Amino acid sequence: MYRKQVRRRRAVLVALIVVSLILISVSFSEAQSGPLHTIQRGISDVLSPLSEGAERALKPARDLVNWFDETFNARGENEALRDEVAELRGDLADAQSALGENQELREQLDLRQTSALGGFEPVTGRVIGRSPTLWYSTVTIDKGSSSGVEVNDAVANGDGLVGRISDVTRGTAQVTLITDHRSSVSARVLPDGPSGVVEPEVGDPDDLLLDFIDNDETDLEGKILVTAGWSNGQVSSAYPPGLEIGRVSEAEPGEQESFQRVHVDPFADLRELDFVQVLTGGPERPGVPG
Amino acid sequence: MIVTWRIGIRLALIIVVTVILQVSFFSLVPTLGAVPDLVPVVVVALGLLGGGVVGAVCGFATGLLLDSVLLQTLGASSLVLLTIGYLAGRYREGFEITNSLIPSLLAGGFTLLAGAGYAAVQLMLGVETPVSLLILREILVQALLAIVLALPTYPLLRRALRPALIDTAPSHRVLAPASVRRARGGIRSGLRTARARSPRVGGGVA
Repeated sequence: MYRKQVRRRRAVLVALIVVSLILISVSFSEAQSGPLHTIQRGISDVLSPLSEGAERALKPARDLVNWFDETFNARGENEALRDEVAELRGDLADAQSALGENQELREQLDLRQTSALGGFEPVTGRVIGRSPTLWYSTVTIDKGSSSGVEVNDAVANGDGLVGRISDVTRGTAQVTLITDHRSSVSARVLPDGPSGVVEPEVGDPDDLLLDFIDNDETDLEGKILVTAGWSNGQVSSAYPPGLEIGRVSEAEPGEQESFQRVHVDPFADLRELDFVQVLTGGPERPGVPG
Repeated sequence: MIVTWRIGIRLALIIVVTVILQVSFFSLVPTLGAVPDLVPVVVVALGLLGGGVVGAVCGFATGLLLDSVLLQTLGASSLVLLTIGYLAGRYREGFEITNSLIPSLLAGGFTLLAGAGYAAVQLMLGVETPVSLLILREILVQALLAIVLALPTYPLLRRALRPALIDTAPSHRVLAPASVRRARGGIRSGLRTARARSPRVGGGVA
């Protein structure tokens, strides 16, 4: 009797492990339109009202916990912000002067004033879910294909670039953050610095790495990084040009490599996202499936 | 644990509520630089209450639901969670839980194991970007937070599943099948009588 129980228990365990391995293998290699992904989207769609309801109902409790956490960190942050304000005052004076010159020159050339995001229709989404594992930096928002959101739309908030849409259901969408290990963003250093690719460092959401920057490039520290939004007519970056990503915090020469190791502080606080803007529509980007 | 269809429904509800709470609340409140993870805590608690098979099945189902809701690689969470659920259940089958702190400490230990297991699965699937050593700190903090989370979670789940737990029965007599107890006046009255006759046992073999 006991032996039979042990055999049954082992059989259940082995069966579950085998099913898990098969699921991993199929899910990993399957296309987004495959049957497993379709079932996943269906389950996600069914449970999204529950997630949304729970997110709203538990908002006060969440705010309370966040308040404690923020208060704990506030003292150190206060000093850093004072330094940043002093630095930004100087930058503002330069920027205002440049803006005046820019406007004057535009008037002379009779150019229409357009922003970097001209042509896009921002859709504001509320974050209703987030992955608990460190290996997936993804959030779920309460806007989906019914609101015009499509795969590969760029996502930003008031501070800067957040990520891009990686999956869509009717009522929700999954945003892959720029700190996810599957993310890479082509970027350039302002005002006329080099271009490279921004990649995350798994496990450290406060630090991004700008890759493919030659060791010859100097004076990068403190400079701002924006999306490059390049296109060669056939292939394009999924991100529109000019979206702010972060500021270069440190550049160290790469060992045994011709590229530097450039660290970037992202502007957006990717750990605490409440609302984000999905940049829907916009100019066509050849080679980017929408 | 005697798993009737009613207990099955309770287990399913526990799994759904856990996943929703994790995704919509705990994942959005980073504490001490890490995200508290309720999922392994609940799976370990179910394993400790129900034994190896219950722990493995609940871990598998929880992982499947979590991966589906978050549109992640299906099966990765299931594999990790079914392993810790089974191991927690095997611990319960082999050792007595004599101290109320043991479930919390086990939850912390198994969360650490889950973090390492998840890292192994992800590295096996391929991570092209650099991996920071800070990830070790996050896994460690998650394990410490799991100890705290398990303090209220384990007794709560124990209470929710009490009708199915064999160790709530008097130690000197065999508990009659559920159908017989219902015929005698329902599970609750049966348990009230049982509790009145003998003090509750803190642990016991499930």
